Amino acid sequence: MTIFLQSLISGILVGGVYALIGIGLTLVFGVMRIINFAHGDIMMVGMYLTYMLFSMVGIDPFLSVLITFPLMYLLGVFLQKVLINRVLDALPQNQILLTIGLGLIMSNTMMLAFTSDYKILSTTYSSSSFSVGGSSISQPLTISFLITAAITGGLYWFLVKTNTGQAIRATAQDREAAQLMGINVKRMSGIAFGLGAGLAGTAGALIAPTYYIFPQVGSVFTLKAFVITVLGGMGSVVGAAIGGIIVGVSESMGAVYISSGWKDVVVYVIFLLVLLFKPAGLLGKSRM
Amino acid sequence: MASATTSRFSRSALIKLAVGLVLVGGLFAVPRYVSSPYALHIMILIFLSTIMGESWNILGGYTGQYSVGHAAYFGVGAYTTVMLMQFRQVPPWIGVWAGIAAVLVVALIIGSICFRLRGPYFVLASIAVAEIMRLSATNLDKFTKGAEGILATEIPVFIIGEHVVTDFLTKVPFYYIGLSLALLTIAVTWAVQHSKLGYYFQAIREDQDAAHSLGINIPLYKNIGLAISATLTALAGSFYAIYVGFVDPSTVLSLDLSVQIVLVCIIGGIGTIYGPVVGALALVPLSEALRSNAIAEGLFKSGIVDPASATGTFLKENLAHAHVLIYGILVVLVILFMPEGLLGFLRKLGARLKQGRA
Amino acid sequence: MAILEISHVSKFFGGLAANSDVSFTMEAGMIMGLIGPNGAGKTTLFNCITGYYPPSKGEIIFKGRRMNGLQPDKVCKLGMVRTWQKVRPLAKLSVVDNVMVGALCRTNSLKVARAIALEQIEVVGLSHKTDFLAGSLPIGERKKLEVARVLATKPELLLLDEVMGGLNPAESEEIVRLILDIKARGVSQMVIEHDMKTIMRISDRIVVLNSGEKLTEGSPEEVVHNQAVIDAYLGESHA
Repeated sequence: MTIFLQSLISGILVGGVYALIGIGLTLVFGVMRIINFAHGDIMMVGMYLTYMLFSMVGIDPFLSVLITFPLMYLLGVFLQKVLINRVLDALPQNQILLTIGLGLIMSNTMMLAFTSDYKILSTTYSSSSFSVGGSSISQPLTISFLITAAITGGLYWFLVKTNTGQAIRATAQDREAAQLMGINVKRMSGIAFGLGAGLAGTAGALIAPTYYIFPQVGSVFTLKAFVITVLGGMGSVVGAAIGGIIVGVSESMGAVYISSGWKDVVVYVIFLLVLLFKPAGLLGKSRM
Repeated sequence: MASATTSRFSRSALIKLAVGLVLVGGLFAVPRYVSSPYALHIMILIFLSTIMGESWNILGGYTGQYSVGHAAYFGVGAYTTVMLMQFRQVPPWIGVWAGIAAVLVVALIIGSICFRLRGPYFVLASIAVAEIMRLSATNLDKFTKGAEGILATEIPVFIIGEHVVTDFLTKVPFYYIGLSLALLTIAVTWAVQHSKLGYYFQAIREDQDAAHSLGINIPLYKNIGLAISATLTALAGSFYAIYVGFVDPSTVLSLDLSVQIVLVCIIGGIGTIYGPVVGALALVPLSEALRSNAIAEGLFKSGIVDPASATGTFLKENLAHAHVLIYGILVVLVILFMPEGLLGFLRKLGARLKQGRA
Repeated sequence: MAILEISHVSKFFGGLAANSDVSFTMEAGMIMGLIGPNGAGKTTLFNCITGYYPPSKGEIIFKGRRMNGLQPDKVCKLGMVRTWQKVRPLAKLSVVDNVMVGALCRTNSLKVARAIALEQIEVVGLSHKTDFLAGSLPIGERKKLEVARVLATKPELLLLDEVMGGLNPAESEEIVRLILDIKARGVSQMVIEHDMKTIMRISDRIVVLNSGEKLTEGSPEEVVHNQAVIDAYLGESHA
């Protein structure tokens, strides 16, 4: 029972960071209908940024979110304006390829700059944990989960309460209609991609103290992000948050009860089942 | 569009045929005059890329189903052939049929799952299935030797009657096999384009609902497209495995490989017979030149860059590592500026030159 | 002889009834007009008839055969084919290749298909555009291409969904002549059209749908003078 509780809790905590990655991807897909294959690589850039801030300036990784988020937001807006914008009406395979190329550029630039060695960002609390009712809970994961929850809440408020947020949601619902109603769709796309990159970068910062940092780490997370968004329904922010938790929990349960080698298979099988039987996601209304 | 007009024997068609025959004849003669193993190696890689690109083209280019999971077929073909050869002493020219059979079973399962989905959902499902295959090959280590991979050491001598055809000790037999397989895939693509299948595939690509209303059984034809594509990809995988002599999940079943297969086709020109050939001709030499540092040395030799200068040292140290980076930049540039691939770009350029002359 | 019998067909989406309890019979060789205000369920009925989704209730009987649950490709093979309100050219294929895709429904030979295609392209008057890419045609010619493509499948019953929508009067007139020409060849047609004058002119019989239900059915004269129909249409224009 304690093992069950422990893996449930650590799954939920990791799931929080996954949720952040998924929300970033789902925003971009919702607003632009583009599947961003470079999403994990953007997260990887965030990890390196955090690593540099920590090792060169000594800024705490969790604190560095305050720097990472705006910088990654700007990177996202830049990428959107310079590259993504040009293929919004292109064939889907070309959009996918463009983002794949972008991912290759990012991961290999990082490889030139930092070599492909694994970096470890070790803080004083990286491996510390505390105990609740007999289960030991990782301290950095708990902090990152709390930050994630705060950011998700803030984002939700932004999307629901502010004018810009509502315009973004309108664009995601129906691009053409939004345009007809006078929403600057191009600007919303820029903001959405910026937010997507910002969130991915933040996730990178939060995960940096507990994960290996290396240039190719992105592709693993790109795939996870796909799974998360499909589980929650492409374009749904709340769905992505729940999808993140589901993936986190099924990974940690799979690792405990099946084997750590098969845990990713569990995730992909769930993914396929959802695609087949609930293509709009676990929460979503039919979007097909 | 290619339609029945091109199948009638016009003069230009005859010229094309003659040029093609000379080219093919020349390619078959290459090993007589070229003995450098490295040169043959590059040619073999070009053939391999061509086979992979053409195979994907049938499903992705003609039928419009953008699979980013073709490593599944490549890997299953490669693994089956190598495992039969190493563990059961089955020669690869027989094992490859088992590989194709295995791949067809896999393709049928994948098709029945993924073809219910459209657009981006299909892409994602194809990735997920290929990843499941990779993880399974890694985890079933009793069966596949897991992440360690399998070395292929037991290639038997190929004998017909009493006559030893080849012992596979040089690159020459692989050159001929690669060339033949590349020609086979091109021929299959040509045959598809000039048949009912080609019309139905392209109709599905252009508008699935319209195609459905015109009497096209969508799941049937998608699965036919997949079966052809997967079979040819399995051939590529088997060929690769025997040539390189090693398979492991992270090379023959990886997402990187799936992406690379798509790249050859899209950079060359999607949905055209010769696009993947152009893609292979462009990508293989480029990535080999970068990998082997030939470009940096060329710059030094030609005197453009001084090897002792700061730029020179930087190039020497980094260019070899940068080949994937340059690959990525190339992909982005092609998508932005040549959305129809190199072949489409060259055709447009040719048309413009012709207009200029007239 | 009845070529098509629709009996008590309903189609629900969630709780909403797009069609409810629609019944009518269509005789072979006739042109049946299907009219009704926007959202009356005309296109939904087409989708049910041609197999895009099964009706929730009721039966669709074509040439004496129950069609419920048959996929569109089977429906086409049996001789019933539809066009699309929003045209769907196979954009990157040429005009002749587009029509050949239709013709290949009846033959495996490209040569035969090409001959059929050229014939139908001639019928709709697109012979001067045979080798143009379908995606490059203006809307009027796309509509004609759509008709040529379905004719090439050798149908017995053609369902035309607003083939005159978005056309100028001269182009509409050409389509009217085409529809009458197709009738003369013995092909039955069901036509959805918004322009009342045109539909009155070409139809042998008219079914009026309103809010998913059949309002009335009759000859063009009967329908024009039906008070319920007048109310439905006035209701729409005053809404």
